[in-house]
Amino acid sequence: MALVLGIETSCDETAVGIVNERKLLANVISSSVEQHARFGGVVPEVASRAHLEAMQQVIKQALKDASVTLKDIDAIAVTAGPGLIGALLVGVSSASGLALALDKPLYGVNHLSAHIAVDQLDNDVVMQPTIALLVSGGHSSILQVNNLAKDVIVKGATIDDAAGEAFDKIARIMGLGFPGGPVIDKQAVSGGRDAINFPRGLTQSTDLEKHPYDFSFSGLKTAVSRYLQQTPNYKKSDVAASFQEAVVDVLISKSLSACKESGIDRLVIAGGVAANSRLRELAKQRCELSKVELRIPPIGLCTDNGAMVAAMGSLAISQGVAPSQIGISADSAASIAQVIW
Amino acid sequence: MSTILAIDTSTSQTSVALVKDGKVLFNKTHNDALAHGEVLPKLVAQALEINRGIDLVAVGMGPGPFTGLRVGIAFAQSFALAADIKWVGVCSLDAMAAVINEGNFIVSTDARRKERYWAEYKDGLRITQPAVASASSLEKLGVKIFSEGDYYPDPVALAEIASTSNSVDQPIYIRKPDAYPLPAGVKFRVMSALDLVVATAIEKEVYGKAAWSSAQFKEEFAKAPKDAYYLAAEAGGELIAYAGIFYVADVADIHTITVIDKYRRKGIGRELLKRLLDWARVKKAEAVMLEMRLGNDAARPLYEQNGFVEISKRENYYGPGLTAVVMRKELK
Repeated sequence: MALVLGIETSCDETAVGIVNERKLLANVISSSVEQHARFGGVVPEVASRAHLEAMQQVIKQALKDASVTLKDIDAIAVTAGPGLIGALLVGVSSASGLALALDKPLYGVNHLSAHIAVDQLDNDVVMQPTIALLVSGGHSSILQVNNLAKDVIVKGATIDDAAGEAFDKIARIMGLGFPGGPVIDKQAVSGGRDAINFPRGLTQSTDLEKHPYDFSFSGLKTAVSRYLQQTPNYKKSDVAASFQEAVVDVLISKSLSACKESGIDRLVIAGGVAANSRLRELAKQRCELSKVELRIPPIGLCTDNGAMVAAMGSLAISQGVAPSQIGISADSAASIAQVIW
Repeated sequence: MSTILAIDTSTSQTSVALVKDGKVLFNKTHNDALAHGEVLPKLVAQALEINRGIDLVAVGMGPGPFTGLRVGIAFAQSFALAADIKWVGVCSLDAMAAVINEGNFIVSTDARRKERYWAEYKDGLRITQPAVASASSLEKLGVKIFSEGDYYPDPVALAEIASTSNSVDQPIYIRKPDAYPLPAGVKFRVMSALDLVVATAIEKEVYGKAAWSSAQFKEEFAKAPKDAYYLAAEAGGELIAYAGIFYVADVADIHTITVIDKYRRKGIGRELLKRLLDWARVKKAEAVMLEMRLGNDAARPLYEQNGFVEISKRENYYGPGLTAVVMRKELK
């Protein structure tokens, strides 16, 4: 039995989750996304101010939801990177304050690993080893997870934009609003997925040799932008659906090739883009065909949240990983190789 | 009986003190403007080794550089929550002024961007609200100035002030966050020939003799759509701003960013510039260039903030005696 409280402030969500080993007890999120919508992207200083303003209330609400007090908590976990540095520091400093006052261990955890760790909550079977597709606003990677706390191999990553970033940019060019993922997903419902044949990055045979598991979305972005300029009366829903299909198609194809090549017939899809309805649908279809066991966390746990951070802390404890030193630094550019600080 | 943990991270210095009934049990500082996050927990851990029983947390609420400032406040609030005790915020300038023996003086700390946070004190009391100003304008006030470097917010003084009634419950930011939200209801879309009647009227009002004619706009629009991008902003159905960029031979050239008088300084030009830059990046332009008239350069700080650098001046560019400043931003 270990109660872990997890804090996440790497971007625009102030979030606190509480887990008891692999059982989810609370997951409270306060988002400043509406304050950013008018800018078409997250403004770091606006996000950081909102984190400080919301933090105490979010912690209190999570404790209330879990029906526990801070004195019951066995360990504190916090996202220490990657993310916006000013935003991360609010979370890391709050977590340090809690840990020192409670005299309990602190685990600085990797935001990316935490996205995958959330899959372990409330699931009897731990998917390990597994191939993981991690797709968010800042990252698009294919990982081979032998042991999430200790042994993760990066098989491939985006060489330019992250998938979520591509969604945001296309949404902005089309005037659909921010964040781009949900608005494009919504537009795409009534559009033709094959209406426009947008390119699939790094899928030509020469590219596949050199970049079997890497992604590139910048060519797609240019193609969509060119299409919009050349087609004044374009149909928004068709562009959204065809663009989304081009992204999702490559993400799943490459993940399944990674499964095949490594002989691991399990796939976990995690990160904010895993909330995309077409990604979930197509992944399910193709995994069934390929006889690959698929797991995607519930939509509410795909986007940034505190439960995933608590889950990662809980996993570190169960694997006997040592807690972080007092005075950890937040690292805005941390790689997935650094799981625990 | 009361033990106060006092924290300040409003300057380049991280300060921690432990004061028990007026007696200083611990008082340590560390000077590193980029390490508040790492230093503060270490200093507090040292203080706790001396005495774990804390009754109150006192924290400097600024003004100060935001990221470091928030480290102290976030830590103090969460520490108090976990220890089930109160926290009290104090104006950090007050904690610096408290150790200065002078009748009338100004306390000033680094606000970056060549500016200073400051407040004026007389006979031990603060007589102005904390504010931000250029160093030169502060000197003009003719009051003796005590600056960060010689003095810092003193954590022991901070603990003392916390037990009086001068508490502050919000961070003292003074400056707005570095972004300006657009006024509600402003829409951006592609500019078309239908905008030209209004646009040429705006041109005349803004640029006088240098105004573009309808024919000049049409010539721009006639360029291949892949090479030119013209955007319009409207509010309540009225055209209020427009901007255009032209891409040729690896460099994109901003031709105009025009906002009508009433809608200036509301972030519309900033948003238009951002969209033009995004377009230039999609075109894989190596650089973006623009010209602006010398003397008519209210937008210059905006360009500089976005990484534009002056590369040359062209005399008589806009007519006799009217010099153009040429600015360039590298994208690669």
